Amino acid sequence: MRPIETRYARSGDMRIAYQVVGQGSLDLVFVPGFISNLDLHWEDEGYTRLLKRLSAFSRLILFDKRGTGLSDRVDAHNLPSLETRMDDVRAVMDAAGSGRAALLGSSEGAPMAMLFAATYPERTRALALYGGYAHFHKWVMSPERLDAFIEMAETAWGTGATLPHFAPSRVDDAHFAQWWARFERLSASPTAAAALARMNADVDIRHILNVISAPTLVIHRRNDARVDPDASRFLAQKIPGARLVEIDGRDHPIWTGDVDGVANLIEEFLTGERAVGEVDRVLAALLVTRIYDTARLGDRMWSERSQRFQETWRLLVGRHGGRSVGLHGELMISRFDGPARAIRCAAALREAAQEIGVASAQGAHVGEIEMRGPPVGMTARVAMQLAAHAGRGDIIASRLIADLAAGSGLHFTDAGRISVDELEEPLALVHATSEQHLEPACRPKPRVAEPAALTARESEVVSLVADGKSNAAIAAELRLSEHTVKRHVANILLKLDLPSRAAAAAFSARHPGPHGP
Amino acid sequence: MLTKTQTVDGAAIKKAIETRDGKMLSSFYADDALVRVIDRNNPPSKPREIRGRAAITTFWDDICSRAMTHKVDTTIADGDSLAFTQACAYPDGTKVFCAAMLELKDGRIASQTVVQAWDE
Repeated sequence: MRPIETRYARSGDMRIAYQVVGQGSLDLVFVPGFISNLDLHWEDEGYTRLLKRLSAFSRLILFDKRGTGLSDRVDAHNLPSLETRMDDVRAVMDAAGSGRAALLGSSEGAPMAMLFAATYPERTRALALYGGYAHFHKWVMSPERLDAFIEMAETAWGTGATLPHFAPSRVDDAHFAQWWARFERLSASPTAAAALARMNADVDIRHILNVISAPTLVIHRRNDARVDPDASRFLAQKIPGARLVEIDGRDHPIWTGDVDGVANLIEEFLTGERAVGEVDRVLAALLVTRIYDTARLGDRMWSERSQRFQETWRLLVGRHGGRSVGLHGELMISRFDGPARAIRCAAALREAAQEIGVASAQGAHVGEIEMRGPPVGMTARVAMQLAAHAGRGDIIASRLIADLAAGSGLHFTDAGRISVDELEEPLALVHATSEQHLEPACRPKPRVAEPAALTARESEVVSLVADGKSNAAIAAELRLSEHTVKRHVANILLKLDLPSRAAAAAFSARHPGPHGP
Repeated sequence: MLTKTQTVDGAAIKKAIETRDGKMLSSFYADDALVRVIDRNNPPSKPREIRGRAAITTFWDDICSRAMTHKVDTTIADGDSLAFTQACAYPDGTKVFCAAMLELKDGRIASQTVVQAWDE
């Protein structure tokens, strides 16, 4: 397959970047929201999934709106009107040889798609609107909130600071948060982002809704974090014959949350046929990794370390040729083509966990799984039960894994049998033991932190930290400057090899000093 | 009074396809015609099926709305069977090639199977 080509359409004196994917009989133009970057979309799993689903039944035409991504920038002091920007859609369609297309307008792209449908009815085959609106201030942000948003965008643009405003449930997904920060940087400069936000704020197309004649489908997530669902209810009411479908979820971007659910609706609307639920089952090894004995860590330390471990998990799974398929509560689930890879990855994860200061417990099983969607089904459930059964540092696998990994050089020892809820016969288990030559001769002993290592003053500070006092409060109590207290706290963390204040507080509670906690 | 309609033959199909005349093309099909499309996205065991004139009209309207060139090269007729090949190109140069096999009934297309491949 040749790489997806990016081309440039001319719209007035502007160049608009676009891509064409798929060979379906109908043309579908995707009008993206606030910001976009044609190249970067293909680096996110959800975005790629959406584009693949849509291009499976259409010739999908993608573009970056002027001022965003790979398209020409706009003059921040002379913002183009919605009409001008809407004409970019026409320019891209002309360049791609599309005489008539269905339009999918997502978020900020929805008003643009609606204006296009009203202006060029003969070129609009159908209109699908997702998370859209007709009036910015009424359904997205009041002028005051917009000012605050722009101020935040101008000071923290490129750090991913806007993520909570769009996809709150992905904030803890470090991998996605990093992608989002790049998405900000590569889609618009800080000045452009502020200009775009102002440009969108002018949107009010309530008066054109009744002239839209294309068949219209309106989709909105019930708890959308960015755009009030009332916005779509209004659209469905005013656009003649429009159909509204409200779906579950609160993340706003169309490529987050239940992407397949959205794609199904759009496919059925445009082709008149229900998406064929292609059951795509493959034989694969599933590895379920959990952090053992989480109760021993304080909340703060737990969240810090588990986050680090999760990042390492993604990295190591990728490095071993696997795929991170999901987080199921505290269980990390990955999929591998071969059982040996899964076990090698499990061994690497066990090491990594120790370095981070947590203990892992893992289970691996092999069986048929569905390629699409979250890991459900028997194989996943068995692997999860094995992980739950595994002790500190253990890698427990079904006997089948060991049989299939014969000749791989991995060592397994018998681990008895376990009765699994859904299996009639108890399942034979093995322990995966590390390859001997990989075992370090002796492990570095973790340094035991002793309260005695602290000076008297530091002990005082740490017990006040344990009381939950701020640096300022401690400074006042000990008659020190806040700066000095800060230095004491830093020294304490360094001496005790602790990651945070909360950890120091927990330490103090476990080691009461002469004055008691 | 019977409306005089265009005879469906190789020449008529060639003309309609090459001039991107979707309306004319759709009028060649019987009301309950079936078009089956086989390509990379629609494998032989699960071809895309377009049933009935209304759906076929939409299909041809979509195809003909594209600013692409179509050239019907070889047409072979044998009784009620008709076959042709078609070379198409998008403005950006991407090429599509199709081979089609048609069965006629009472002078209208009753069924058609299209096999197509494209640059990618």
